[in-house]
Amino acid sequence: MKLSIIRLYHDLLGTYGDQGNAEVLIHRARARGIEVELVEVSPNQAIPRSGDIYLLGGGEDGPQIAALEMLRADGGLNYAAAGGATVLAVCAGFQIIGSSLDSVEGKISGLGLVDADTVYTNAPRSVGELVVQPTRGDLPILTGFENHQGLTQLGPDMPALGSVLSGTGNGFNKSEGVWHGNVFGTYMHGPALARNPELADTVLQCAVGPMRPFTDSLAQELAAERRHTLTGN
Amino acid sequence: MTNSLRLELACAIGQVAGGVSRALKRGRGDTLTGRVILALDKNALSKLASQRDLVLVSGTNGKTTSTANLAKILEQYAHEGVSTSGSGANMPAGIVAALASKPRNRFAAIEVDEMYLPQIFRQTKPKVVVLLNLSRDQLHRTGEVRKVSQLWNDTFATDDVSLVIDRDDPFLEYSAAQAGHVIRIGFGGRKHPDAATCPKCAAILDWSTGDYSCVCGLGTKLPDVRADKRLRGPQRNSTLVIEAARLMGAEINAQEAQELISQSPDRITEFEAANRKIPTHLAKNPESWREALAQITKQSVILSVNARGIDGRDTSWLWDIDYSSLQGKQVVCTGDRKLDVAYRLSVQGIDVVLANDFESAAATCATSQIQAIASYTAFQDLAAQALGIAATQGGHV
Repeated sequence: MKLSIIRLYHDLLGTYGDQGNAEVLIHRARARGIEVELVEVSPNQAIPRSGDIYLLGGGEDGPQIAALEMLRADGGLNYAAAGGATVLAVCAGFQIIGSSLDSVEGKISGLGLVDADTVYTNAPRSVGELVVQPTRGDLPILTGFENHQGLTQLGPDMPALGSVLSGTGNGFNKSEGVWHGNVFGTYMHGPALARNPELADTVLQCAVGPMRPFTDSLAQELAAERRHTLTGN
Repeated sequence: MTNSLRLELACAIGQVAGGVSRALKRGRGDTLTGRVILALDKNALSKLASQRDLVLVSGTNGKTTSTANLAKILEQYAHEGVSTSGSGANMPAGIVAALASKPRNRFAAIEVDEMYLPQIFRQTKPKVVVLLNLSRDQLHRTGEVRKVSQLWNDTFATDDVSLVIDRDDPFLEYSAAQAGHVIRIGFGGRKHPDAATCPKCAAILDWSTGDYSCVCGLGTKLPDVRADKRLRGPQRNSTLVIEAARLMGAEINAQEAQELISQSPDRITEFEAANRKIPTHLAKNPESWREALAQITKQSVILSVNARGIDGRDTSWLWDIDYSSLQGKQVVCTGDRKLDVAYRLSVQGIDVVLANDFESAAATCATSQIQAIASYTAFQDLAAQALGIAATQGGHV
């Protein structure tokens, strides 16, 4: 099979290096002999419905709303997600795949891929290293760099990606991100998949099923160095 | 105590403190001088700026070099020294120290940190402000590029100053949108990597012609000066500087201007390590890395990346840069965050080796044909080492 990775609106949602997530997925898939194609979708281009993995990154407030409106109008991402495609959405991207979010014009609906409401509070902006104990799978401690104003409350049946050991994350009940079916949301930049190779493989496996092991020593070293510096372990 | 006496005393004590700091090799002393002056006279900034001709220089990249160039032109014209921020200390304390040097001379050319520009502008009432460029930098501190642009837009809603801007930068065009007097320099033909949407109305900018336009009308004002589109970042900055010098009253003829443009250096300094001389580029954000990478010609390259306070503690922007020009070269990564940059390069298919410090990185290189790119504190540490003064504090996360 050919794995199709769709990078959405990198111009609008690429403020914090999250486009690197695509490169990490491609690198780790090719290392297993999986053929990969990367489809870049620019604003106002049609979103393919048959992709395997859809990626959304972080962005500034204005572009975030522009992106949300185009995603809603196109409908391709919702269609693909309903059909079981894998989605990884970071920061502003995470906020727009939720059910609702605050904007300058008040509360607006999100894409509703997950049940989550993002609010803007007067709390200081959450900026800094984020350390997360994953709630599912056999993932090790995850790390990333967060930089966001909005805080995200998950609906009662929404599993978080993990619980916060240090940093803010979603800002409610120590939860960080979301992992619902094949949909992942997170506040971790870094990019998240570069700093957390096991998370990268988890995302890949949602799309391609079990894979043979692959150890990239530099990736492991980077993940371990960050964990060690931030937790002492 | 009278106002001016308090100020004079404050300056005298401040200079002594700075001198002591320099003598003890604790640093260049400018910031300490400024802190002491401000502690003794909180109005020192506006007092030191009053009845003088000031020009402020701000922007993401090229502030220090541009300010130095501007001071050079003004000095030549004025036949006397110019108060200027030689060391890149661009926050209030450093600026007070710069103004307190040569306080009786007419001109001051002052570098200002982007976030402090509103405050410094209001307190110093400059004649001219040069806005060089705005792109992503230290996002943990500044928030978003468009927020800096909004801050400047609010600040410059006035007729009391002349702005000089690169009008090809939508963030600057918006920064100057409410200003009464703006000199727009147009170079043409380059898309801003961070400006997919309009800083004013957030609509998607149309870049299809190579220039931008927006439904809200941003970018429709024509440039006052059209410059060569082939100029690179530092040369574009020099073009803005020459225009600013003209507005300050210092005429500079075309040939002199050309000379200045051609010799305007990037921030490259030659450091010695492992008995090798290594030209080192200071690069601190995606745009300055792209500029630096474009100038790599040698076979061995050292990349030194830290993420301490002023560098920006988030390294994810390393993924926004295309490193393909390093393909086939020997690349050695060092610095606190060597693994971040090394892994990023390896994913792009570029072979890297790691080194614990700059010295061993230099020793690792197969040839003496070496160039380096260093992030802010990595560069500062090399400079401090060369001068024999204390390095920046570690304490990284």
